[in-house]
Amino acid sequence: MYETHLNERKSFLDWPLVLAVLGLMAVGAVFIYSASFANESARTLSWFKQLYVKQMIWYTLGIGLVVLVCAFDYRTLARWSLVSYWITILLLLAVMVVGTERLGARRWIMLGPFQLQPSEFAKIAFILMLANFLSRPVEELRSPKIFFTALGMIALPFLLILKEPDLGSALVFFPVGLLMMFVAGVPVPYLTKFVGGVGLLVILLLVDVLFAPPNWQIKLEAYQKHRLLTYFGKDFAPRNATPAERKQAQILQRNKSYNVEQALISVGSGGLTGKGWRQGTQYSLGFLPRAVAHNDFIFSVIAEEEGFVGSVTVLTLYTIILFSGIKIASQARDRLGRILAVGVVALLFSHVFINIGMNIRLMPVTGIPLPLLSYGGSSVLCSLIAIGILQNVHMYRRAY
Amino acid sequence: MLIFDQLKRDDRTLRIISFGLLAGLAILLCGLWWVQVVSAKRYEANLKNQSFRSVRIPALRGKILDRNNQSLAENRPRFDVNLYLEDLRDQFTAEYTNTVRKQFLRDHPGAKITASVRTNLIARARYRVAAKITAQISTALEQPVILDEARFIGHYARQPYIPFPILQNLNPRQVATFAEQLTGLTGVEMEIQPTRTYPNGTSAAHLLGYIQRRDKPDEDEEIACKYYLPDFVGRTGVEASFDNSLRGKAGIKSLLVNNMGYRQREEMLTEPEPGKNLALTIDLGIQRAAEKALAGAMPNVRGAAVVMDVRNGDILALVSAPAFDPNIFPNGVSTAEWSRWNDENYSYMFNRATYGAYPPGSILKILTGLACLENNVMSVSETINNPGYFYEPKLLGSRKIDDLAPPGEYNFQRAFIKSSNTYFIHFGLKAGLRKLVEVGERFHLGETTGILPREEVAGEYPHSDQLKSWTLGNAANLCIGQEVTVTPLQMVVMTSAIANGGKLFWPRLVKKIQASDAEKENESSLPGSLRADLHLNPRHVEIIQRAMLADVEDAEGTGKAAALKGLRVTGKTGTAQITKGNQVTDHVTWFVSFAPFDKPKYAVVVMVQSGASGGGTCAPVAHKIYEAILKSEQSTPSATTIAQRN
Repeated sequence: MYETHLNERKSFLDWPLVLAVLGLMAVGAVFIYSASFANESARTLSWFKQLYVKQMIWYTLGIGLVVLVCAFDYRTLARWSLVSYWITILLLLAVMVVGTERLGARRWIMLGPFQLQPSEFAKIAFILMLANFLSRPVEELRSPKIFFTALGMIALPFLLILKEPDLGSALVFFPVGLLMMFVAGVPVPYLTKFVGGVGLLVILLLVDVLFAPPNWQIKLEAYQKHRLLTYFGKDFAPRNATPAERKQAQILQRNKSYNVEQALISVGSGGLTGKGWRQGTQYSLGFLPRAVAHNDFIFSVIAEEEGFVGSVTVLTLYTIILFSGIKIASQARDRLGRILAVGVVALLFSHVFINIGMNIRLMPVTGIPLPLLSYGGSSVLCSLIAIGILQNVHMYRRAY
Repeated sequence: MLIFDQLKRDDRTLRIISFGLLAGLAILLCGLWWVQVVSAKRYEANLKNQSFRSVRIPALRGKILDRNNQSLAENRPRFDVNLYLEDLRDQFTAEYTNTVRKQFLRDHPGAKITASVRTNLIARARYRVAAKITAQISTALEQPVILDEARFIGHYARQPYIPFPILQNLNPRQVATFAEQLTGLTGVEMEIQPTRTYPNGTSAAHLLGYIQRRDKPDEDEEIACKYYLPDFVGRTGVEASFDNSLRGKAGIKSLLVNNMGYRQREEMLTEPEPGKNLALTIDLGIQRAAEKALAGAMPNVRGAAVVMDVRNGDILALVSAPAFDPNIFPNGVSTAEWSRWNDENYSYMFNRATYGAYPPGSILKILTGLACLENNVMSVSETINNPGYFYEPKLLGSRKIDDLAPPGEYNFQRAFIKSSNTYFIHFGLKAGLRKLVEVGERFHLGETTGILPREEVAGEYPHSDQLKSWTLGNAANLCIGQEVTVTPLQMVVMTSAIANGGKLFWPRLVKKIQASDAEKENESSLPGSLRADLHLNPRHVEIIQRAMLADVEDAEGTGKAAALKGLRVTGKTGTAQITKGNQVTDHVTWFVSFAPFDKPKYAVVVMVQSGASGGGTCAPVAHKIYEAILKSEQSTPSATTIAQRN
């Protein structure tokens, strides 16, 4: 008893995790400052309206949430998972009714001056819910019924978010859910069969969209189709298009692939060591659209100004967080903690991989924010809640 | 360490996940390495390509001065009003949202503003803003200006980072009005551009030439610079033939532009190198006197006058009448004006002194006489009878050539000063066609002098090897200066060679090329150069010179009108016929001369088209020119002080 107490006090905080998180928050504030100050009209705003100040407020609130999350044993939190899961489902439904539409997508609920993005919170609630569900005895997990119920828990928010539409955020539920099932002990054949089946479907879909004649194609949302075509570098125009149509399609293609092209130029022109803080030209001249430079494409800003060195620094900070998460999973007191930690790691990793990947054209463009760096309240708060869950599992870990 | 601890630990599930994470992170790392290190150059080039525009900045054109450093062509400030489009962005947006968009929605109820409609409407809004400002300026400056929509939209599409020109060449009152009422108007600036000015107006217009705005770059320059600011290029005269020296080297300015193409920042990459100054051999005083004298020869005179220093080939004056005003060209010339200057009868733009070839008539008897003397077919004292015409059936069959000199006995001098055709045909035919042509060849007739390469003709003069088709009739014509054509410039070179005893100079127009005002020492002089030493027998030269003196001083001489107190002027008159078929349609009258007789310094050639006669029309012009020369020689000290003060 005495020893356990001593041990817990000795590393109440997981220091590498905490330092990496603080490091990323510092980087985030500094580069949101850089990205938003290039904009003349932004510069004239009063200080409390500046994006970097707002982001720091979100950070502070987020840290408060971390403390709040850590105040209760994660097992207590898991007990409330059902409630939080259904609340977020309700919010996702509410988005469809009262959500504000921007750029053809309905993803936000206006709460006074704040824009709530329920899909972010849904991810956290989902992790809690699924972890709680999967933490039952391993034997029960062999039942197909449990497996399909778990899939249902993925499918519900997936479909609702897909409807917004926000394909990127929706897709994140799959790797997160599957990894959690894997670590919980769901029989691997179930998972491989499912992944194989889905993979086959996706390939068929892609082949259909990319190569099939127009009337054979499945109806996708135009923007989804364009993103896929852009990603795979295919012509927008169908093969039998008239020259006028082809030209129209080319213009459209240039517009659609514009952000990616500009992000690539930003990242690439940063070179090895970058141009220096606030010296980037891509966003200050508006080539990298100002609307996205500080959120979805904040990585481009960092990469342009700090070069490969900066990119690797950011990547290293994420690596520390991810492996701290794995370590926390391995030291977790019970299966619930282990599954929770892996869920959080999977969520963070998916976001990092997809977001950085889209900045260098490894991934198609989606609205997935970069955890802790991208500007945005919902994203920052959810990332920090996720970190709080990790910290919570760490605090109540098994004592060696 | 954090990562390896996990991999070593005996926890298969987490180990698999760890490997998965590592693989994912490694992919990102490789991707970043590929983009930021391996392909960095390519993306840097892309970045540069989309955010920098190099703009060519024309250099200040060099000045043209006369031999006493009096200005013939210089630069003056020109005040232009330009629109800085990047400063109008807010107004463009406001116009679009407040007016154009609303109006569109009112006119098309229920219509949706698609992307292309929006683009058009925004373009419309931009034009409206610019047009409003233009109207405001137009009212204030009391000058109608219409903003051409196509031009504005074209400019905006191609080079929005370059200011859009609204109004050029403001007059002093407008400059004052602008400063008073329009300064501070957003996006509007009054700017100073150098422009060419010729302070002496039409004076020396042909030899100076004119310049024109050039809006498109040369082929080779296009590669270096993507964008071009209008430059001036010399089209004729010295402005054209020394264009490279005068124009200097254009600089390059690099503009940083944003995604809309608006200018953000600019940086001079290469400073423009100002053009070099040219000091001409022209003496502005003599030039003006010659112009005035020629203009006084007859009403609506068409002709030329050239003054040359016989000692070195310097051109002191080169006049062609009528003249144009080169000041009208730098700022653009209207079609009406252009056709006026190119009027068929007067051809104001045409340089008659170098570009016009005319039959020389009797002035060529100088060469005929020289040919006879050199070939020993004529003795100065020998006389022949002139019946009033030349008629030799043995030589010319039934052809009879009229002689305007009265019938009587003629020796060389009398024949020369009375310009007897009979005498010169008689002896010229004795010397033979070949010998006659050869003399002209030695004086490089039929060849250009290189003074203004693009505006000089060689004249028609046969080659001594190509005389097969020439008959004795042609030869007889040549003796009296028909059948061939010469330029006034060729005649002044010829006369100079007679005056200086046989040295044929290349005429020189540019004395030196100065690097700039500041570095006078860094100048390259272009010395006069000898084209040919004719090795004339001094005795023959003296005979001709004395005959020329007699033409002016003798009571019987045709060139008496050129005589001047205080300067012994020599000369030879000529009246050439222009025939169409057998009909004489026009005359070209000439007077070639040099002075002073004892120590020749100046050669003056005057040519007037449709004049009455060489002696009547041209000799008085030469008289006035010599008068001016004499005056300027007497007042040289004061001329020097003026030059120094300048």
